Amino acid sequence: MTRGAAHNPLRDPVVADSRPGRAALHLVDAAESADRAAVRLRLDDVTVDFGRKIPAVENVSLGIGAGEFVALLGPSGCGKSTLLNVLAGFQAPSKGRAYLDGEPLLGPSAKCGVVFQKHSLFPWMTALENVAFGPRRLGLPDPRGIARDLLDSVGLADVANAWPSSLSGGMQQRVGIARALATRPPVLLMDEPFGALDAQTRSLMQEELLSIWDKLRPTVVFVTHDIEEAIFLADRVVVMQALPGKIAREFAVPFVRPRAPEIMDEPAFIELRREIADIIRIEARKSFR
Amino acid sequence: MSVGGGKKGYRATGSALLLGSTGLAIFAGVWALAAAKLGNEVLLPSPLSVVKTYGELIGDGSLASDVKASIVRVFAGFFIASAIAVPLALILAYSRILRGLVMPLIALIRPIPPIAWIPLAILWMGLGDPPSYFITSIAAFFPIFLNAFAGGTSLQQEHVNAARSLGARPAALLTTVMLPSALPMIVTGLRIGLGQAWMAVVTAELIAAQSGLGYMIQISRLSLETPRVLVGMTVIGLLGAVMIGVLGVLERRFIVPWNFTR
Repeated sequence: MTRGAAHNPLRDPVVADSRPGRAALHLVDAAESADRAAVRLRLDDVTVDFGRKIPAVENVSLGIGAGEFVALLGPSGCGKSTLLNVLAGFQAPSKGRAYLDGEPLLGPSAKCGVVFQKHSLFPWMTALENVAFGPRRLGLPDPRGIARDLLDSVGLADVANAWPSSLSGGMQQRVGIARALATRPPVLLMDEPFGALDAQTRSLMQEELLSIWDKLRPTVVFVTHDIEEAIFLADRVVVMQALPGKIAREFAVPFVRPRAPEIMDEPAFIELRREIADIIRIEARKSFR
Repeated sequence: MSVGGGKKGYRATGSALLLGSTGLAIFAGVWALAAAKLGNEVLLPSPLSVVKTYGELIGDGSLASDVKASIVRVFAGFFIASAIAVPLALILAYSRILRGLVMPLIALIRPIPPIAWIPLAILWMGLGDPPSYFITSIAAFFPIFLNAFAGGTSLQQEHVNAARSLGARPAALLTTVMLPSALPMIVTGLRIGLGQAWMAVVTAELIAAQSGLGYMIQISRLSLETPRVLVGMTVIGLLGAVMIGVLGVLERRFIVPWNFTR
């Protein structure tokens, strides 16, 4: 069974015309596919219009399985961040509804950890206190202990007592990831988390994220406009189109895990990248004036 | 503060001290020369006679009691103003309706200088301490209010979203996100407000009180004891600078240390 096929039951009929990915190149073991059978996040015919004529997001339906890593990819203005804000509960849809584990999503909760693009650490708290914030709010035992373990796992134990403003961009984002993971959320929502980092730091962060994901296996929705990043990280790449924001096409990513950056040189990777780039170029042109 | 400070920090402090005291020495020298040239103790007493007067006033205890009276008035006004201005500013920063209701009134009252309130203050409260508290609190109110308001409105949506997605309820949001994010601006307002209260206390005492440094300056002027006037003036300068400096240190070390990393 291919990954692409495994996701078919999750797909809403509305987007069934968005063709599933090309024939998968590698087989995935059946147990892993069965794991994904439960739908964790579901968008049901969601429209967000911000009171404007052309909605930022129009009639989007999408199902995301438990433990799945999905990338939302598209040019700026395609509504991918808006969609993520709906999933996080920050933005209520104008029409339609979002569901988490079958329950309607009515606002932000500690079940969905969010990693923001930048400047989201609380500058008035040390790195450690930032990570301990969630556990404290939930009344978990030993918040500082939880925070220390997580900082250790992202390699930042030595800057636990530093203020965020004294950390580099990459360090700040790692603290941000640790903070989002501290409440042990089943879902991790990431809004272009590496977009502001330099290329070298970015590729190290991608590998680090994969190794964290491998350990904890949360459901991840990862917003990016970087095609390689999306393919390298995700099980499924959802390509969006702009004006109005919709799902253009979905691609199952066939590469086996754990993945190393070398897969980016494989012909199958390059072929997939080209195919996605073609769609995105058309979409980017629409809103380019 | 401690990160990477050390030797370099000490050297910088040392050279700042050296430059500062040199500047003061030059000023005192020019003053002494001018006083000697003028030869008129009433128009411009020499620095030496001011120092001598310092000795007398400290000796008979009158300086201490005047300083005490003024400090009490400054802090009374400062605390009254802070207690009203900070909560009010934060409430207005978060409530659009209240903001629309109150801001025009504040815009109209703000340009009225504290001294213009003195007649009303005396009519309402008579002579003595209450009108002085009133004047110093009026003076401290606006810088505190305006800065705290700016702090309240500078709240970043990302911080609110992050806190909510980490399980923060409204009460926790207020104390762990809104308040600390406004704090740097609030402290700036407090520092400016304290300075304004010091300036206003003299105004209030010149007219509405029978003690304090302002009152001392006023009666010394009437008896042409200019060295005493200068003692009053320099004490106000010194105390004001020390208090604002102490508040600055508290700010960097304890209140908003995250704003002072390098």
